[in-house]
Amino acid sequence: MSVTDELTGPGKPSFHLEEMVLNMGPQHPSTHGVLRLVLHLDGELAVSVEPVLGYLHRGFEKLAENRTYLQYLAMLSRLDYLSGSFMEWSYVRSIEALMNIEVPKRAEYIRVIVSELNRIISHEVAIGDFMLNLGAVTPFFWVFRDREDVMDLLEMVTGQRMMYNYMRVGGVRWDLPEDFEAGCRKFLKEYPAKIDDYEQLITDNEIFISRTLGMGIIKPYEALDYGLSGPNARASGVDWDLRREVGYSVYPEFDFKVPLGQHGDCFDRYKCRIEEMRESVKIVEQALDAICDGPVNLKLPPMLRPPAGDIYRAVESPRGEYGVYLVSNGGLRPWRLKLRDPTFSAISMIPKLTAGNKIADLVAIVGSLDLLMGGVDR
Amino acid sequence: MTPDSGKLTSQQALEHARDLLGKIARDLTISDWHLVIDVRGDDLPEAALRLRDDEKLSCKYIISIIGVDYVDWMETLYLLRSLDHSVPIRLRVRLDREKPEVPSVTYIWSGANWHEREAYDFFGIRFLGHPDLRRILTREDYDTHPMKKDAWPHRVRRTEWRWENIEKPRRLPGETDRRDRS
Repeated sequence: MSVTDELTGPGKPSFHLEEMVLNMGPQHPSTHGVLRLVLHLDGELAVSVEPVLGYLHRGFEKLAENRTYLQYLAMLSRLDYLSGSFMEWSYVRSIEALMNIEVPKRAEYIRVIVSELNRIISHEVAIGDFMLNLGAVTPFFWVFRDREDVMDLLEMVTGQRMMYNYMRVGGVRWDLPEDFEAGCRKFLKEYPAKIDDYEQLITDNEIFISRTLGMGIIKPYEALDYGLSGPNARASGVDWDLRREVGYSVYPEFDFKVPLGQHGDCFDRYKCRIEEMRESVKIVEQALDAICDGPVNLKLPPMLRPPAGDIYRAVESPRGEYGVYLVSNGGLRPWRLKLRDPTFSAISMIPKLTAGNKIADLVAIVGSLDLLMGGVDR
Repeated sequence: MTPDSGKLTSQQALEHARDLLGKIARDLTISDWHLVIDVRGDDLPEAALRLRDDEKLSCKYIISIIGVDYVDWMETLYLLRSLDHSVPIRLRVRLDREKPEVPSVTYIWSGANWHEREAYDFFGIRFLGHPDLRRILTREDYDTHPMKKDAWPHRVRRTEWRWENIEKPRRLPGETDRRDRS
């Protein structure tokens, strides 16, 4: 029997049916950096999806063991490069907790202001990227246009547009510049109207709704089971925000809502981010009103030596709970530094979430999770 | 950082966990308002199941699984959290460094799957019963487990191999105290 007979024999279809394996990424425009997805396709349906990580692995945790505590600080914002201040914050918080350092009040306010501005630009990229994945190019340009305003403000404060290196153990690097407050208030006044513009462009769009509503549903218990946090979990109705529940820094003083979704689909995840941007604007406004005078940094020795012990500290980053587990042996360098990235948990959910969907929907679901490989691969 | 914002205090959580786990818990301590529970590797799945299904402690959410190499021994830490009260719980298992093996908890928390793969990748800890224990971040044919302290002897400062060998801060002769210039 020839090969042709085997394929087209009696009872066999006249064409060859077989699962196709397709590599999506690591260099694919819609996979957010260098995420590689191995798709097993049956026609247009993805039968199984397997994420492959490690294309951006730089050994951050190992490098920490060869650097002093202050030297390592400069590397942290390279992890999750869209929200660098949160990595720095969780790291300095863990050292401060180990050393029992009380941070000056003004420094805490500045940290909140910088981080909430950072949350805004991170969510903007998340939304712009998500829309780009769905094939809408305009919002991408809009968010990058509006993002420049915030980046200018952050550059004014920190000297950098993305890799801030601004937080220090016991405070921040330097005080806010003189014209920052005026510029920031001007931005905060104009910004809600821009969010309204996004909503007008995106939220009511029929194509967007039909592509995201009811797509990639995460149930609340699944979100917990997989360790999701941040907007991804809150879109499923998991009412958990470290800023409110743990109340670190000066967050208990501020009045803000924690936006929740109802269905846990792609649309809710997008909507949660939009609402969080509005809340961030409110928080920055309140912080600017409440900020007090005083020192912004403590005089600490250049060689920090936290006492021996271990500690876990986390902050609510735009992608969820960003945690640092630090083991010190009393020496100049960390004995072990574990960086807990929320996106790592979110990606581990992709196989369950996307199997059985069409490729186009898979792109939408992956985009809605707001993945960023810099923090995942470390 | 408010230790008393949850419904349970650390002390209450400790007492409840002591009743719940009985002899399984070898030691219960409070470290920085987190509850730390030491268990033996064999008892880990039982302890994890009880913590997850208990109504009060209900650790439904796994933050992370962390391996630590202390040169003389190894540890895995399971950072757990309940959304009902805000006392995070750490399950701590001490492992034999020559043969680091511990039962997998993937069937208890699905999210544990990748964290266990990461701990295997970095420390060579074998999670028994894990459905798919492969390397996750480093390349597949990598010949070492890079986060072990002796993985790259030529790259690590030799004095810091041991826990006790703490490096003294280097100062120039006559220099008293350098202030942070930044």
